[in-house]
Amino acid sequence: MAGATAIAGTPPLLRAEVKQDGRLLVPWALLTTLLSASSMIYPLVFPSDQDKAAFAAAVGANPAMAIIFGPAYDLSTADGFNAWRALSLGGLLAALGVIFAVTRATRAQEDSGQAELLASGVMGRASRLAAAVWMCLVFSIVLGLVTGLVTVAFGGGWNASMLIAATMSATAWMFTGVAAVTAQLGSDARTANSLAVGTLGVLFIARGVAYALEAPDWAIWINPLAWMTETKPAVDDNWWPLLLAAALTLVLLAVAFVLQARREFGAGAIAPRPGPARGSARSTWRLALRINRGPLLTWTIAFIGLGFVFGYLATSVNDILGGDAALQQALASGAADSAGLVSAFLVTILSLVGILASIPGVQTMLKVRTEELEDRVEPLIATATARARYFASNVVIALAAPAVYVLIAGLLIAALTASADIGVEFGDAFLQAVATVPAVWTVIAIAVAVIGARPQVVLASWIGVLASFGLTILGPTFNLWDWVLAISPFWHVPGVTDPDADWWGLVWISLVTVLFLAIGFAGFRRRDLART
Amino acid sequence: MSAGEAVIDVRGLTKSYGKFKALQGLDLHVERGQVHGFLGPNGAGKSTTIRVLLGLLKGDGGSAQVLGHDPWKHVVDLHRRLAYVPGDVSLWPGMTGGEAIDLLGSLRGGLDERRRADLIERFELDPSKRGRQYSKGNRQKVAIVAALSSNVELLILDEPTSGLDPLMENVFQEVIGEAKANGATVLLSSHILSEVESLADRLSIIREGAVVQTGTLADLQQGSRSTIHATLSAPVPQSALEGLSDIHVDGDRLRATVDSAEVGAAMTRLAPLGITALTVEPPSLESLFLRLYETDSTDRAAS
Repeated sequence: MAGATAIAGTPPLLRAEVKQDGRLLVPWALLTTLLSASSMIYPLVFPSDQDKAAFAAAVGANPAMAIIFGPAYDLSTADGFNAWRALSLGGLLAALGVIFAVTRATRAQEDSGQAELLASGVMGRASRLAAAVWMCLVFSIVLGLVTGLVTVAFGGGWNASMLIAATMSATAWMFTGVAAVTAQLGSDARTANSLAVGTLGVLFIARGVAYALEAPDWAIWINPLAWMTETKPAVDDNWWPLLLAAALTLVLLAVAFVLQARREFGAGAIAPRPGPARGSARSTWRLALRINRGPLLTWTIAFIGLGFVFGYLATSVNDILGGDAALQQALASGAADSAGLVSAFLVTILSLVGILASIPGVQTMLKVRTEELEDRVEPLIATATARARYFASNVVIALAAPAVYVLIAGLLIAALTASADIGVEFGDAFLQAVATVPAVWTVIAIAVAVIGARPQVVLASWIGVLASFGLTILGPTFNLWDWVLAISPFWHVPGVTDPDADWWGLVWISLVTVLFLAIGFAGFRRRDLART
Repeated sequence: MSAGEAVIDVRGLTKSYGKFKALQGLDLHVERGQVHGFLGPNGAGKSTTIRVLLGLLKGDGGSAQVLGHDPWKHVVDLHRRLAYVPGDVSLWPGMTGGEAIDLLGSLRGGLDERRRADLIERFELDPSKRGRQYSKGNRQKVAIVAALSSNVELLILDEPTSGLDPLMENVFQEVIGEAKANGATVLLSSHILSEVESLADRLSIIREGAVVQTGTLADLQQGSRSTIHATLSAPVPQSALEGLSDIHVDGDRLRATVDSAEVGAAMTRLAPLGITALTVEPPSLESLFLRLYETDSTDRAAS
């Protein structure tokens, strides 16, 4: 009976939740559907077996790609291609969608005071969490069904397509559980989201590395994301690892509800301590550092970790390439050469580091908007602080921090590759990281322009990150034309060891960066500040 | 620094948000050393006007001058000379109140340490709590302390006491009185009439984006009505009720309103009936406000 009262009022809350936040979930399902269904053009893009083999050699064997996509078991069929391309990435997207939804419906509501309003109604203590969890569990299944059925409609095999889609659902289930737990641990929405996304990121990279390095079995079985890969759609079609996912989901949810029942309203596991009565942040610059302090620290640690992982991966690049028969064949026939492959690997891996580093840059700019919407910019601008100065303090952090992240990761990758004797000098590898920085800045400058000039379309801030990822990482799997790939700033990053390297590309994208920054500053100076 | 110098001078100001006209030809004139009450119901355009005066919004038409300058163009210079308390104070969740006060003070060009300590004590504020732990009233105190710790010429206060308890409201009134004594000009927006009544030298009443009346309290009370509460020793005869309106008679008790100029005459008529208790309330802003609204709604009903 106690259990029933704890979740009293869940159904009406669930309806309200779906009405309010449901539409924010739709894009995630569209993305997974697009990702999976678009794999069906594989036979058109790579018609002959020879094309497919060459593709498998060039892209499928690139360990940097393996980090994102996992192992390529069979690239001879559209379903096998889909399993390689959509399984891990689709799971990642679905998991991100539910993490944000769970946090929004639990922690964020507590932060904003909405929950307090609800809590005074006829509602059990656990109802908000229950409503959020129900919404996400059901959404996960819908996402899987839509993704699977649309893929089948575009020509995917029934068993393989549905299994791939089911792994996305299962991943979303597990991360509904993770987010439900982190929403109890963090004492505000930002912390809760960071904890959940951080868990997802670590497991995702760990899976990629485990498969790229052909790690021992235990490294695979302790990682819930690797269970999904072990379903091996289109090869073995194992459905049973999904049961492990369901079991883990139940355990995580049980933990979340126990934690929820124990903590007090609005509090997290870590109670806030009293702070200093006097402030040291006495300029907009120090303020920008102060409010971004937590994320700056977290991301620095993340990129140190990433540098070690990718660097270690780079040291074993020869073993990995040597173990690939198709690749050896391509090498022998002169279609590829070893030095070129290592160089391509470095360029790809540093582009990946760059794209990841642009995410915190965009987040810093989004924070500027949040501060504005929450009325914290107004009192600042009402002091003797010029708008441009306030904006600049934040833009500097948005641009400088990601550059430092790329250099940190680049330094570690360069040091590790240079020590591994695979024909890459420390200087070259590090220079490659330096050459990646201007592309990162272009991506972030788009967010600067959006937040400065047109903050109403705040989601457009992510265009640079999405386009770079879609074109530079996914683009080759579509065999896209160069002029399309050139839209991504990372396409213009030259391979520094390439004797014909074209450095002008960096100049052009930097001009674009300057243009976007100018738009952002001009906009922020001229527009009305948000009013409540 | 002549007495008639305009610190705020707004003429015919308009501002629209899409189709919604927030300000429709607003005029506002505040002279140096005044405490100017800026009154109006929610949504009348008070905060929009203040945001234009602060250069946070750009007016569509008309002109606005603060301390003799255009607030949009000379934003930084002007902000060194003024301080602002928003109606809805939002603090950085992880930053303490003390840190926020120091930040805002430094950005304004420094604050007076003695005043800061004094105000924190008088408002009984704990500066070591974090932004997310403060209640609405305490967040407001943080903003008030930050604004009043700097020596500025102009204070712009947007409903500054809406979350304060009565004791703290008294402290606030004292503190504003002191600021005025030191020569500061104050623009005090509010929908709480009593707070403005006791502080303000002049008042402007805003309604639907335009100032409908402006003047001293006495000016505005002209032509408005006082309220009489009287207990008489005999039943009230009809003849005594001449010149009174809104009459409520309950046995020997009478409540009615009378034109402020006619109070004496009404007393003369009531006195022979034997008054055992009597109060005469001067016209309050409340009644003034209600009157403005009544005429407005009757106009509308007529049209």
